[in-house]
Amino acid sequence: MADLVTKPGELAGQEADVPNRFRLSTLVIFGFVFGLLALLGWGLVQVNSGQVDSGMAPDFTITSFEGETITLSDLRGQVVIINFWASWCPPCREEAPYLEATWRKYQEQGVVFIGVDYVDTEKEALAYIEEFDITYFNGPDLGTRISHDYRMDGVPETYYVAKNGELRGVKIGPLAPPELDEKIEELLAEQYP
Amino acid sequence: MLADIGLMALVVGFILAVYATAVSAWGGWRQEWRWVESARRATLLTVPFLTISVVIVTYSLFVMDFSLAYVVDVSSQAMSPFLRLTALWGGQSGSVLFWAWLMSGFVAAVLWRKWDRDRDLMPYFITVAMLTTAFFTGIVVFITNPFARLWHIPGTTELITAVFQPTGAVPYIPQDGQGLNPLLRHFGMIGHPPTTYLGFTGFVIPYAFAISALLTGKSRSDEWIRTSRRWTLVAWIFLSIGLVLGGRWAYDVLGWGGFWAWDPVENAMLMPWLTGTAFLHSVMMTEKRGMLKVWSVSLIILTYSLSLFGTFITRTGVISSVHSFSKSALGPVFFVFIGITFVASLWLLFKRLDTLKSEHELESFLSRESAFVLQNVLFLAITFVVFLGTVFPLLSELVTGTKITVGPPYFQKATGPLFAALVLLMGLAPLFAWRKQAASRLGRAALAPLVGSVVWAGIWGYTHRMHPASYFALWLVAFVVMLILFEFIKGIQARMKRGENPLIALAHLMGRNRRRYGGYIIHLGVVMIGLGFIGDAYFQQETQVALAQGESLTLGAYSLRFDNLEMYPGSDGREVLEATTSLFKNGEFVRTLKPRRDFFVVQQQPMTIPAVYPTPAEDVYVLLVGWEEIGFGASTFRMFLNPLISWTWTGGFVLILGTLIAAWPEGRKKRAYALAPGRLQPQPGLGGD
Repeated sequence: MADLVTKPGELAGQEADVPNRFRLSTLVIFGFVFGLLALLGWGLVQVNSGQVDSGMAPDFTITSFEGETITLSDLRGQVVIINFWASWCPPCREEAPYLEATWRKYQEQGVVFIGVDYVDTEKEALAYIEEFDITYFNGPDLGTRISHDYRMDGVPETYYVAKNGELRGVKIGPLAPPELDEKIEELLAEQYP
Repeated sequence: MLADIGLMALVVGFILAVYATAVSAWGGWRQEWRWVESARRATLLTVPFLTISVVIVTYSLFVMDFSLAYVVDVSSQAMSPFLRLTALWGGQSGSVLFWAWLMSGFVAAVLWRKWDRDRDLMPYFITVAMLTTAFFTGIVVFITNPFARLWHIPGTTELITAVFQPTGAVPYIPQDGQGLNPLLRHFGMIGHPPTTYLGFTGFVIPYAFAISALLTGKSRSDEWIRTSRRWTLVAWIFLSIGLVLGGRWAYDVLGWGGFWAWDPVENAMLMPWLTGTAFLHSVMMTEKRGMLKVWSVSLIILTYSLSLFGTFITRTGVISSVHSFSKSALGPVFFVFIGITFVASLWLLFKRLDTLKSEHELESFLSRESAFVLQNVLFLAITFVVFLGTVFPLLSELVTGTKITVGPPYFQKATGPLFAALVLLMGLAPLFAWRKQAASRLGRAALAPLVGSVVWAGIWGYTHRMHPASYFALWLVAFVVMLILFEFIKGIQARMKRGENPLIALAHLMGRNRRRYGGYIIHLGVVMIGLGFIGDAYFQQETQVALAQGESLTLGAYSLRFDNLEMYPGSDGREVLEATTSLFKNGEFVRTLKPRRDFFVVQQQPMTIPAVYPTPAEDVYVLLVGWEEIGFGASTFRMFLNPLISWTWTGGFVLILGTLIAAWPEGRKKRAYALAPGRLQPQPGLGGD
């Protein structure tokens, strides 16, 4: 209605003025929206891209419940098994005895097991370790940094790291004999200078 | 068998929604009304079909038909019948179906009567609203179908979830289900999710009106905006109830002593609420003065987009939250839908900017008009601050490679001053006249409340010498409350001069100006909620002590004695560890409090349930955080004194009451939608309804 009563002269003045403002604000707003969409899309790709299962294993340093520290990149030349678990996770309980038995079998050959405790309370976690008499290295994933780097989906998940530090696959869900033995044998057979 | 009927009804509902979308667009484009009428009928017909689906899913949950994967997921023998019913919205498939069903209900409600006004908007209104409904129904049909079954391929350990039998698979029917996430096994489950969903889905109505108005060029006149205002109010009230109930639930169940944690999911609800509130105000200006049209339309679009955005970030796991919904195939589809919605709406808005010209210019900085502009800006600023904090983990990950989550301190510091400014404006704005306000008159009107509140805050500050910022906050609250009460008093006095007694005068006052005085009551509710936030920010006290049986801890005027600890099996498959404690105030016994720790055996998940002693001044909130395994000798308790928190819940009720007063449909006279809206002549000191 307003434009009907506007005098011709005013209208012309407005038209000269409007496109400029229009273009800048349009640009800013559309830029913002597309930027936001790009951000969301990128986040979505991150979330959905699944576990890291090849290439160099993301490096991390973890402190055990006893206070020892271990850094993955210091373990070149050794086969490393990284197991994500939690005391509240029933399938983890299924694989716990097998993991510990396999560790005891291979520790002499320089295989390193790292238990990464995901989103847990220390009291329950320690009770779990005691229950299954777990003797390999175990520590909490503070700030879920490690699980984030490995784009872990849920517990349990087990990542196999070769002597040269490369990932050689991931097992999602509980391990059952003899798959861990087979994988370790395969990785031990690899040559490392 | 029953599930097959549910599945068929769902598919028919989906086909109807797609049909309505396509045919209404065609009818609108070709200006052929019979197609539009056909689309309208298809829309109405969607509801019974989706209802059949919803009823069958609910029934399957209730009778625990474990042949359905969804039932196995969220239902179990141990759950009470009540919880089994609420499991409809306890998992993804069910909640999306519920969502689609509510949305179809809203759309059908709008289309129930043939429109005698805004008829030109109907075709595209149906297109937009039913496209959204079809999208959500499509997700239920193709991606997360609640009628999918579990299948087992002999010789393997893997289970497959699929609607139809995969080759070589045999049906797998477990004896019992996993049951609902323990955090959801709470009475709050009946209220918070459905009201929130009603709020979210309801915003599709004003959005569809706005888009169809822009498409047809009807945005030039603003009759349509009245209709969409009413529907926004419906959605807004449900979202408000959802927010209050959600806060109460967190307070009762999550056990961290507060009711609002600025979690992404909470923010996802808050943002559309903020922009929706801004819209409800902005639209008054559009109605009365033909101004702020671009604001109003943008705010509708933003509100709807933010509710989609909120659903997206939380449902897809892009931003992690305490509401840990699992990741799913929903993400990419949802992303495309959101992208199209955002970009298309914006493009349309820019394309039609010429239809949204303001009919008046701002005449003075001190006027009702500029107060409205300012409140829009403040609401938008708060939304932006919350938005930034919510997506910050994503931004930081993109830039630095690590997810950094900004905590409550950021949100409190950044939104606190903005909220304070908004509350002040809320108190003062009704005093402003349209067009122009003489500063001297404003000063006179605000003088008594100002003096009263300053005296009150001064006395309070003198007696409680702590947290200087809290003096300001409490002054603000007192000032605004007094301003609002003065408005009532002025109105009542004017009527009493005509010989009415005060109560009758109050009733008439509210009856004649329901939008205005309902609005004031809403404002009072907001101030009360604000009191709870002030208490939480400045006056919360906390202590944690390990106590042997018979020992006590002291906090403020209260002391808590640990009497006993016992363990027993509870309902819903939980082991309950419950402490009995006695609460004393100034040495006198008040009551027995029983904080508990529930342990859900199947899910291996503990839950800390606080014991609360609420009073208007403060809540005593006790948590059982630790205990000795053997002999139950000593236990650790955390105790909070949460001042003023009860006001938040009362404020929530007051807010809902005010909205009902403001929004209740006028009984006698029909609203004259057919008439062109008469421009209100400026009346100093009046209006605001």
